[in-house]
Amino acid sequence: MTSENPETGRTVKRTIYALAGGLVLVAAGALALESGLVPGWISGRAKVAQSATDPTYFQPPTEAEIPDGPNGDAIRRGREIFMNTATNAGEFVGNGLACANCHLDAGKEPLSAPMWAAWGQYPKYRGKNKMINTMEDRVMGCFTYSMNAQHSVAGHPPPHGHDIYRDLEIYFSWLATGAPNRTKMAGAGFGTVAKPEGGYSLERGKAVFAENCAVCHGADGQGQTDINGRIVFPPLWGPNSFNWGAGMGRINTAAAFIKHNMPLSQPGKLTDQQAWDVAAYIDSHERPKDPRQKSGMSVEEVRATFHKNEDSWYGKEIDGVLVGVGTPEPERPVGAPENEG
Amino acid sequence: MTRKPTSSDHIVDEKFEPWERNGRMPLPVVWVAVALAIWGTGTLLTTSGGAPETAVEAAVQQDRPVDAPDSGAALFAANCATCHQPNGSGVRLAVPPLRGSEFPAQGPELVANVLLRGIDGPIRVDGHDYDGHMPSFSAAFGDAEIAELASYVAATFGDRDDGVDTATVADLRARAVGQGTWSGGEALAAAYPGLPPQPAFSSASVTPVSADVSALIFEGRDDVWACASCHGDLGQGVENTPRLSGLSADYIAKQLRDFQTGTRANEHMSFVAKGLTEADIAGLGAYYAGLSVPSTAAPILGGDLKRGETLALVGDWDLGVPACFSCHGPSGFGVAPNFPALSAQQAPYTASQLAAWAGGHRANSPLSLMDQISKGLSTDDRRAVADYLASLPAVPAGSTGAVAKEGDGHDL
Repeated sequence: MTSENPETGRTVKRTIYALAGGLVLVAAGALALESGLVPGWISGRAKVAQSATDPTYFQPPTEAEIPDGPNGDAIRRGREIFMNTATNAGEFVGNGLACANCHLDAGKEPLSAPMWAAWGQYPKYRGKNKMINTMEDRVMGCFTYSMNAQHSVAGHPPPHGHDIYRDLEIYFSWLATGAPNRTKMAGAGFGTVAKPEGGYSLERGKAVFAENCAVCHGADGQGQTDINGRIVFPPLWGPNSFNWGAGMGRINTAAAFIKHNMPLSQPGKLTDQQAWDVAAYIDSHERPKDPRQKSGMSVEEVRATFHKNEDSWYGKEIDGVLVGVGTPEPERPVGAPENEG
Repeated sequence: MTRKPTSSDHIVDEKFEPWERNGRMPLPVVWVAVALAIWGTGTLLTTSGGAPETAVEAAVQQDRPVDAPDSGAALFAANCATCHQPNGSGVRLAVPPLRGSEFPAQGPELVANVLLRGIDGPIRVDGHDYDGHMPSFSAAFGDAEIAELASYVAATFGDRDDGVDTATVADLRARAVGQGTWSGGEALAAAYPGLPPQPAFSSASVTPVSADVSALIFEGRDDVWACASCHGDLGQGVENTPRLSGLSADYIAKQLRDFQTGTRANEHMSFVAKGLTEADIAGLGAYYAGLSVPSTAAPILGGDLKRGETLALVGDWDLGVPACFSCHGPSGFGVAPNFPALSAQQAPYTASQLAAWAGGHRANSPLSLMDQISKGLSTDDRRAVADYLASLPAVPAGSTGAVAKEGDGHDL
C-alpha cells in the first residue's frame, strides 16, 4: 500500500469526520444539559431552588466581603440583630421571632422580601400609615407589628435615632451594594400569588398544614425548640408570634411567602390554591392584638379603620367566634428577668 | 473447503462483495459511538475521585496534627459562638450570656472546669433562669486548648486577666474523671462560693433500663444480635455505624419501625428490627436518648471543614440547601421528634446517608426534605459537612438523662 492509494485518504478523512462529529455531539449535549434544556428525568439533575440560581436576580455581596473597620463592625452588628433579634434587640421584641424568620438567608433570598431590593425603595409613601416612610420608619413598623414590641420589656419599638436602626440600615445598604436605586427589582417582596377563583377553605388549609408544615412548625403551629429551649422553628400563631397588625396576618401576603419559600428548601411545592388555603388556616388563629387598637376601640372599629378591604380574618367571625381580639397579655414583659436583683 | 466454486457462486460473490467491502457504517452511527466514548471517559474521570474514600480516611486519620493550639479568640469563634453568640450575648430565654455573666468573673479555672465537664441543670445568670444544657468539650480539646479558651473567656467577659495554664487544666481534667456533668448552677456554686444563689437542682427520676432491654442491648436475643455489638457499648457508633446516644427516642423508634416495614432499607437493621416488639422499640429509644456519651467521632474524610461549617451554619441557598442547623437546631443537637442530632455523629455514616438520599437509596425523610437537599450537595460537600459535624461536641443528655461513663458497659 502506498500513500497514493485512494482508500487511505478516504479512511483518514472518515476518521476525522467521525471524531469531529462525535465531539460536536458531546458539545451539543453538554450545552443542552448546562442550559437546562434537558428534562430532569433524563439528566438526573434535581431542579432545586431554580429561582435562587436564576441569573436575573441581583447577587448581594458575600459575608467574606464585609470590610474591616468601623463600617464592617456596624454591618456585622446589623446582621446579628437581623439573625438573632430577640437577643440583640431583645428589649424591643415581645415574641419569639427574628427578622430572618421571614427574610430568609439573612435577608438575601429572592421573593423572601430581600433587603437588597427594599433598600433602594425608601423613603416612600405607604398607605399603611399614610405618610412618607424612611427605612427607619419602616423597620419601626416591623418592631411594632411583626416583633410585637407592645409585649417587650421596653413596651414600644426602638425610638427614632436608636443604634439598632443605624446598624440594620448599614447592613441593608451593604447588601444592596451595586443595586439600582428606586427600581422595582426582580425577586423583590414576596411576589404575588393570584387569589384562586373559588376563594380559600380552612378545612383544606388544615389538611395542607398537617401534611406540609406540622413536621417543623408543630401540629399546634407553635414551632419547636432545641434542648435548651432555643427556638428553631418559629411559632406561626399564638402569643409568641407576630400580632394582628403585621403584614403576614394578611392571607395574600402569607400565601405569597409560603408559595415562594415553604417548605424550606422546596419552594413552589404547593399549588396556588394550597398556598392560599394554608395561609388562610394559619391566619385564622388568634395572635396578639393589633397595637393600633387603643383602649375603648372595638375590633370592629379597628377593622373598619385599618383592615378595610384586605384579605384577612381580622374582625370577622369563624364559627360564631370573633377573630382579632388578641391573645392574653403576658404576666410580665417577654424577656424580663424572673429574679430581680 | 473442498467444494469447487460454481459459476453461480461466483456471480453471487461479485454482487455481494463490493457492497460489503465499500459499504461503511453510516457516519451518524460513528458519531454517536465516538460521542458515547468521550462522554464515558469523561464521566469515569470525574467520578472516580470519590471512590477510594476509605483509603483517604485512613491516610487522614494517621496525620492529625498536634500543633500549638489556636488562639483563644479563634477557638471561641469556632466552638462557642454558635450558642453564646460572637459577642457573648447568648440567646434570650435559651442560652445564658457570657457578657455580664457572674461566672467568667470567678476566673479562668471555673471556665475550664465548665468546658471540661459541661452542664446539665438549671442555672441563673444575670437574674435569668436557664434550663442549662452545655456539652462537655473534654473530648474535643486538649489541655492547651482548654487553657487558651478558658483564659480568653475569663479575660473577655469576666475581666479576669490571671489566665490558667496547661498543667492546671490537666489537673482539673484528672479530677473531673467520673464526675459527669455539673448539675446546674447549684453544683457550681458549691464549688465556687463567689457565685450568686442558684436554682435548686432536682435530680429527675431516671427510669432504669428494664432487664429485657438491657439484655437486648448487650447480649441480644434469639436471632437478634446485641445493639452494642455494632453500635458500641455506649451507643457511640463507629465508622459507618451511627452514634445512637443522644438521638431522640421518637427518632430512634421511627427508624426502627421504618426498618421493620422496609421504608428504610438496610439488610442488617431490618433483620434485627423485625425481631423487636413495640415495647422493645420504646425501651431502646428511651435508653439511647438518655445516654450522655463524649464524642468519639472525628473529621476523618478529608473534607473541607470551613466549607462544612458554612453549610451547617449558613447553607448554600444557590444550591437550594438551607443551613443544616436551621432544622437540626443551632448547635446540631437535634429537634425532636423528626430532626435528629447531628453533632458528634460518625462522619462516614453522615456522608453515606447523604449519598443514599441523593441516590434514592434512603427515602424515609419527612416531606422528602433530605432527599432534595442531598441532591444539591456535591460529593465534596457531603464529606465537608459530615466532617464538620463530627468535629462538634456530643449533644448533652436531657435533665432526665442517665450519664454513662467509659467502661460502664453492663452495669448501667
